Amino acid sequence: MAATSTAFAFEVAPAIAILPLASFVIALFAGKYLPKGGALAGIAATGGSLLLSLWIALTVAGGATYNEEIYSLVTTPNSFDLHFGLLLDPLSALMLVIVSLVSFLVHLFSLGYMNDEGERGLPRYYAGLGLFSFSMLAFVFADNLFMSFVFFELVGLCSWLLIGHWYREEAPPSAAKKAFLVTRFGDYFFLVGVVAIFATFGTTLFAGPESFPTLAEEALAGAGGGEAGGGAGELSTFGFGPGTWFTVLGFLVLGGVIGKSAQFPLHTWLPDAMEGPTPVSALIHAATMVAAGVYLVARMYGFYALSPTALAVIAFVGGFTALFAASMAVVKRDIKQVLAYSTISQYGYMMLGLGAGGYVAAVFHLMTHAFFKALLFLGAGAVIIAMHHRQDMWEMGGLKEKLPVTYYAFLAGSLALAGIFPFAGFWSKDEILYEALIHGLNDPLLLGGYLMGLTAIVFTGFYTFRMVLLTFHGEPRTHTARNPHSLGWSVKVPLVVLGVLATVIGLINMTPVAEATGLHIEYLHTWLEHGIPGLTVEHYDEVLETVAGYSAASLSPLLPAVLSLALALAGAGLAWALYSGPDPDHHTERLGDIRTLLMNNYYQDEYQVWIAETFGTGVARLSDRFDQSIVDGAVNGISEVSLLSGDRIRRIQTGIVSNYATLLTLGLVVLLLSVGLAGGWFL
Amino acid sequence: MILELLIGLCLLGSVVLFVTPNRYAGRLAAGWSLLPLALSLLMYAGFSGQGNALLGGQLAYETTVQWVSLGPYTLNWHVGLDGISMPLIALSTVLTTAAILSAWTPIEERENQFYGLVLFLEAGLIGVFAVLDFFVWFVFWEAVLVPMYFLVAIWGGPRRKYAAIKFFVYTNVASLVMFIGFFTLVFGLGDSIASLDMPAIAQALRAGELGSLAGVGPGTLKTLAFAAMFAGFAVKVPIVPVHTWLPDAHVEAPTPVSVLLAGVLLKMGTYALLRFNFTMLPDVAQQYAAIIALFAVVSVIYGALLALAQQDLKRIVAYSSVSSMGYVILGLVAYTVYGVGGATFQMLSHGLISGLLFACVGVIYNTTHTRMVDDMSGMADRMPVTTSMFVAGSFAYMGLPLTSGFLGEYFVFLGTFHADFPGAAWFTAIAMFGIVIVAGYLLYAMQRTLFGPFSVKTAHADGGAMRTDGGEGSGSEAEHDIDRAAAHDIVPLAMLLALVIVLGVAPEISFGMIRDAVGPLVTAGGAG
Repeated sequence: MAATSTAFAFEVAPAIAILPLASFVIALFAGKYLPKGGALAGIAATGGSLLLSLWIALTVAGGATYNEEIYSLVTTPNSFDLHFGLLLDPLSALMLVIVSLVSFLVHLFSLGYMNDEGERGLPRYYAGLGLFSFSMLAFVFADNLFMSFVFFELVGLCSWLLIGHWYREEAPPSAAKKAFLVTRFGDYFFLVGVVAIFATFGTTLFAGPESFPTLAEEALAGAGGGEAGGGAGELSTFGFGPGTWFTVLGFLVLGGVIGKSAQFPLHTWLPDAMEGPTPVSALIHAATMVAAGVYLVARMYGFYALSPTALAVIAFVGGFTALFAASMAVVKRDIKQVLAYSTISQYGYMMLGLGAGGYVAAVFHLMTHAFFKALLFLGAGAVIIAMHHRQDMWEMGGLKEKLPVTYYAFLAGSLALAGIFPFAGFWSKDEILYEALIHGLNDPLLLGGYLMGLTAIVFTGFYTFRMVLLTFHGEPRTHTARNPHSLGWSVKVPLVVLGVLATVIGLINMTPVAEATGLHIEYLHTWLEHGIPGLTVEHYDEVLETVAGYSAASLSPLLPAVLSLALALAGAGLAWALYSGPDPDHHTERLGDIRTLLMNNYYQDEYQVWIAETFGTGVARLSDRFDQSIVDGAVNGISEVSLLSGDRIRRIQTGIVSNYATLLTLGLVVLLLSVGLAGGWFL
Repeated sequence: MILELLIGLCLLGSVVLFVTPNRYAGRLAAGWSLLPLALSLLMYAGFSGQGNALLGGQLAYETTVQWVSLGPYTLNWHVGLDGISMPLIALSTVLTTAAILSAWTPIEERENQFYGLVLFLEAGLIGVFAVLDFFVWFVFWEAVLVPMYFLVAIWGGPRRKYAAIKFFVYTNVASLVMFIGFFTLVFGLGDSIASLDMPAIAQALRAGELGSLAGVGPGTLKTLAFAAMFAGFAVKVPIVPVHTWLPDAHVEAPTPVSVLLAGVLLKMGTYALLRFNFTMLPDVAQQYAAIIALFAVVSVIYGALLALAQQDLKRIVAYSSVSSMGYVILGLVAYTVYGVGGATFQMLSHGLISGLLFACVGVIYNTTHTRMVDDMSGMADRMPVTTSMFVAGSFAYMGLPLTSGFLGEYFVFLGTFHADFPGAAWFTAIAMFGIVIVAGYLLYAMQRTLFGPFSVKTAHADGGAMRTDGGEGSGSEAEHDIDRAAAHDIVPLAMLLALVIVLGVAPEISFGMIRDAVGPLVTAGGAG
């Protein structure tokens, strides 16, 4: 009985993605005729996905896993198989719940944000949300890297559609183009990586004895044993040693991750993407596009764990991005811009965690961040509705009394983001930093990542509370802030749900408490210990130790936890000291040149545009001129004689050209017929 | 006899249309073109061929009739299909119907002749893909040029005469070079062949029966013949640096003709390369694989860069065809199932997608009378359905997954990355960068033309000279409103888009037969 119901849960699992796809089709073709522009179909679909995901999670909790092909695109004997499949294990089950929950709440919130605001393109909007949810959910349960790439790209398309939703203005289409192009640049490397992994291993499966992480591990073990023999002999490593080649492959895939997860230097698209509707920002930042990159590293962690170089680079880039982005958030005036940079920064922490060997910590932060960042964006969305679509925090102030539900929910999210005990972000961020520290004591690159991540905490505390204080505290600074628009239930319900989650979800993995008391309360760790062999925490830890040579210093988690809490409080305290009055000053303007630098985002956009223009448009123009003058010029020179004679022939034919055509056609037909008759075809 | 029926239907339609009054020509042509379309789809559904047409495979719909003797050679009417030619024939009939429908709006004079020539063109295209005797094949090959020449020269833009003559001379010279190359092989084979039957020639060549000719040894002879045929077909594809006829022809051609030109005519070049160079002389192809791959990669990147520099929507799509056809060459040279099969799939996919994009540009041009990126913005506001199609087609062109565009390119990359020739992985990795550039110019073009606040400027209210390089257009700059596209403009777009998505989700519909047909080529080609 139990066995059949288990199998049934997995058999209906594709519906998790298919339901939002159906809502995409319904909204696209019938949205015009439906009440609420297709919103209800989207709500029903993602609600269904959420229930199914919970069912899958329960089934997985019972110890069952699933790793099966469901649809074959191309089956080629003796060559590569391209198929879609399902990989349902603790990691993907957890992520399915997160994505479908956030997506469901975003749909619900959109009723208040889009429908009530007289939006014209509702069917297009809900179709986009549906397609986005479909792509991300299918990406999450992908059982092979090819399928991941397919849906990774579709996620990119959806971001383009939704960021550019308000296409009648100038800025959104431009931002959409930038988001797609920058992430496509990253995806180029990912594509090369997928093809190269196929060429190397003959498969891109994530799990099982024939999966590429397992084959790579065996190849390395074989290469360690013998000289040229062993497992590596069967793999084509393109003239490199297997270790080096696997690192190269890891870096190639990482290109896509850096693009989508907005890590330095491909983070520049994300702040611009704020041009999209705010619920879309919540979806992109919390659960879909940006999360896809980090999730991909977690999904193929068994492969990255084989390469200490790749891990160290991931950690360092992550730590750097965490600090770099947090510093820019300090001076922003637009509430969504602050949140955008905080997203970049927080995904930097996740990368730091993954690179530092803290697989559980990174997944933990991916989860807590999904909830509190969705909360913050939806909270900001509520504020923006109340402020009649104004986003400058200096025009707000004093919204606390007018919007109490929003305020307390937003405050919970902010406390989680800043990492204040006992809110969710504290536990997960602290665990990442702890992992980075204990592994970093033996590896300077990781230690560098740790120190940057630690410094970023101060900035995070500061910008978070600067945002809270400017928006909700003090006296209202404008007329709009004194008379905000009221909010409906569809706006408040998602805020309350996420507010509760942002407060308590951290309790599922209280590592410092567990260490101090000896209680077995690290539930997330236990959750990720189960599942398919080769995709468990134990396996990753073992590989990290034996192959990547990671070793953890023994250190109590209490002291680092107290240190990061103290830094977060210091940052928050500084914000309080500067901005808590009824009418705060523009303190950041005292930073002078530094503020200019930060406001301009370290001129990252400028140099990237310069590169794109010089090497893209510039080279293109040169090629065009070369093509017109040299290549075509040579052709015209050679054919001048022919052209002259052609010209003469044309003059003879002027006026009867069409008759000529008719005659020619008829002539050929007659010719073919007569020859055919002579040849006896029709006999 | 079914292939003869197919060709005959097109020819008969052509004749009938020439004598049809202009008023009814469009509707009759569309209706008539459904006959070959339906027939070819029936043939597709009932396709039973196995193996490669030139390498002893079992052909579908085969007819062999002895015709006349020409010196030592018999000339045969030999037609038949394998998994490579069947999809291309279906592509030809689909695009012909799409082109005829998309001609309803823009073609306003001499309609009967226009549609007659289009159907004649269709017959020629089907012949090229179906015929397996060189002499008859060459007749069809040349016959395609004639209607194309007139279609550009009569219904084209302001510089139509120049473009048409350039196209005609360019491709005719190429045909001559190719013809000489091929006959070098025929004479070199001497007594070992008794006809110009392409399978017989291919098998004789692969069996090593090539002798000396005029004191030149078989090795050199093969290389020379390969080079001549490659150069000849390269013009048709086109491969850089013999691509310059293409943008001129496209810009001047009326849009429905561009649909056929990009959609099917370019595939004649790659199809012929596959049948002649890569099937008959695999050892030469493999010996010079790196050089051919270099041509392919240059076409991909250089073509894409040229597209990036254009302001005319048609020129953008035209140059991006150069880029996309580069992938086909890259796949052919790989000699792997995914390489050659992917190249064939890419021919099919690019035919549908470039046809779709040209048709979209045509619909926009019909109402705005400009194709300049700078002259319009915010079209999405007034033409939502056309915009959706344009967006979908552009993303397919960029290789978005679940469209055929992704799989065509992906197969090629997959097949070429681990191919045997030196530097295969590097060539593939560099060619892949094309996917970034294509996204660059198509996203730029879409952003500028489709989005933002609505406005249209035409620099030539009198319908006078349209400059292709932009910037210098004189005359009054009139802002004017535009109409929505008519249903018959949208139908071909929707039809092509549906096929692009179907092939992207269920590629096995065509890739199954393609794989079966390239299999013998790949396995037997390995040894040379």
